[in-house]
Amino acid sequence: MYKVVIPGDFISEDVNRAGEGTYIEGGKVYAMRYGVVDDKEEIKVVPFVGKYQPARGDVVIGRITEISFPYWIVDIASPYEARLHMSEATPDGEKRIEFGSMHTYLDIEDLIVAKVTNVDPLMRIDLGLMEEFQLRGSGRLITIPYTKVPRIIGRRGSMIKMLKEKCNCFIFVAKNGRIWISGKEDDMELASDVILMIANEAHTSGLTDRVASFLDSHRRVRMYNRKNKGLKR
Amino acid sequence: MDDVRRDYIYNLVKRGKREDGRDFRDYREIKVEKGIIKRAEGSARVKIGNTEVLVGVKLEPGEPFPDSPDEGVIITNAELVPLASPEFEPGPPNEDSVQLARVVDRGIRGSEAIDLSKLCIEEGEKVWIVFIDIHVLDNDGNLVDAAALGAIAALLNIHIPAERYGLSNSEGEDTNTLPIRDKPVAVTMVDVGGEILVDPNYNEEKAAVSGLTVITNTDGTISGMQKYGREGLAEDKISEMVEIGIEKADELRRRFL
Amino acid sequence: MKKEGIELIKDGKRLDGRDFDELRPIKIEVGVLKRADGSCYFELGDNKVIAAVYGPREMHPRHAQDAKMAVLKYRYNMAPFSVDERKRPGPDRRSVEISKVSREALEPVIIKEFYPKTEIDVYVEILQSDAGTRTAGINAASVALADAGIPMKDLVSSVAVGKIDGEVVLDLNAMEDNYGEADMPIAMVARRNTITALQMDGRMTKEEFDKGLKLAMNACRQIYELQRTALIERYSEM
Repeated sequence: MYKVVIPGDFISEDVNRAGEGTYIEGGKVYAMRYGVVDDKEEIKVVPFVGKYQPARGDVVIGRITEISFPYWIVDIASPYEARLHMSEATPDGEKRIEFGSMHTYLDIEDLIVAKVTNVDPLMRIDLGLMEEFQLRGSGRLITIPYTKVPRIIGRRGSMIKMLKEKCNCFIFVAKNGRIWISGKEDDMELASDVILMIANEAHTSGLTDRVASFLDSHRRVRMYNRKNKGLKR
Repeated sequence: MDDVRRDYIYNLVKRGKREDGRDFRDYREIKVEKGIIKRAEGSARVKIGNTEVLVGVKLEPGEPFPDSPDEGVIITNAELVPLASPEFEPGPPNEDSVQLARVVDRGIRGSEAIDLSKLCIEEGEKVWIVFIDIHVLDNDGNLVDAAALGAIAALLNIHIPAERYGLSNSEGEDTNTLPIRDKPVAVTMVDVGGEILVDPNYNEEKAAVSGLTVITNTDGTISGMQKYGREGLAEDKISEMVEIGIEKADELRRRFL
Repeated sequence: MKKEGIELIKDGKRLDGRDFDELRPIKIEVGVLKRADGSCYFELGDNKVIAAVYGPREMHPRHAQDAKMAVLKYRYNMAPFSVDERKRPGPDRRSVEISKVSREALEPVIIKEFYPKTEIDVYVEILQSDAGTRTAGINAASVALADAGIPMKDLVSSVAVGKIDGEVVLDLNAMEDNYGEADMPIAMVARRNTITALQMDGRMTKEEFDKGLKLAMNACRQIYELQRTALIERYSEM
């Protein structure tokens, strides 16, 4: 069980290792968020929930909300919206997209996989399209708090590897907490349930084993599914 | 407020000075003129430095509150009219205007300055409603103290307009003057860089991160308090402010009421 | 405020049996709403309040945005059925003032620089009222803000003291508020002893004020422990 802290809790006097989710005052490190302490390398507080703050290099799943020539405006599950310049849709300067025809490339409601290329001090966020930027075909998108993403991935990718194998699905986990699952209907259902379970229990120990046994007896998933639909509050 | 102006005030304070050369505990020049609005039963114009507030008091018969059928009613309102500041916009009262009215009201009510039991015309049916209307004309900071001083100044020596409403006096005594039993005075202070400044002007108000208004009576008791601002205050600072408030209120009472 | 004719203290105890320095029973539940980013249900005696936090989220209108930090908004609202005489829906002057004072009570602990150009909305609904609703609201809002993952330096705790039959007492109920001589709600950052809200209504000597303030600060520390326990236990019950 990780240590749960609330804002203002004293954590440590080792100010040199103070990291995300903490603040320093009077030579001491305090928690800034409601979450769990992770002091393996830096002293961090991983919040239970929070709004995704984009950072350069993050790969996110976005949804086009507006076309505002020469940009697409993209919702990236953050308090800030991002923009994608039209030149991103035509690499190698192939063709200049004409005013009024941007929607033929990407339209409102389209989902894209993009990389955050820049965040300026005015919180304007620029995106670049990843090579495989489309999420097509049958699949589903679920959203979890971005803070739980590391748990879904697991140490050195061990958790996500187990999920992909045992659920027999394509699973893509983006930094902003959006997850794309693609596979057979039953398999996607299982993957969805397991991911929500991990998100709800991210702060507990022994989770990996519990997930493994959960997957192995997936028949019980049908009942869990009907009782506890959705992210636990 | 932009950082440049805030730093300017802060730096002055650190050197023991204020923009207009005052001591930390001093008020700006105060002027109180009573009875200047003929149509109001009571009125006062108060200037504190460049801040100017006009308070008008009108009395009207009306219905008492159900739970106090033999008592008069006080209704206090403040208007931050657009001509008083580039920041004031026309429209219904905003939170600053509501707060101003309620703090002034609190001071008058808490001190029981107005003997509401003497304002009964017909128990359960008709009592005198005392409307205290604060009209801000120029905002150069510290509207509260100006408004509160104006309110009590306007309340002193009010002729109850019984004749206008065809209401005769009872018992033959001269019950025509509004009975005022105390003189509550508001003193507002702000914290700038750890120093307590009395009577902040507009710039000092904006530069301060917290402030306190203390309303006290002739006998030194407190009849209202209100803290403002985005930062906290330590207990000992509050205590000091209350003491200063009591002292300065006495001074203002002697000079103007 | 003051009405004659009721004895509020009998044989050294208050009408509801409490000691002068005793709080009413408190109940705290965290994360009770699904749609809100953070929420808290809070009971203080017969007061029942619920606080919800949305945000940080994009701020509209754009021109009201602060380029450097988030803007905190607080709305205190009483349900029409929360009081004896039905309260007409919509903000009245009292609610407007309480909203402002409550917002200022919380601002000192919120690290607003983290989310420039956004707004953080706090909504407090009073479902049942028995005096002390604004203090219950601030306590609930504090917990809801933490629950929403808002970056904060600390929690804020709040309580009121007052004067009844000449005695300074803690946490007035409605009867005591109506027939008492003074009412003083405060809010404080318990760990730092900083007062973030202070109002006084009624009449008190300086000595009574000093005594009341100390009483209130002590009670805030007790309330803080309850707030903290509720938050910690929420994630420990697995």
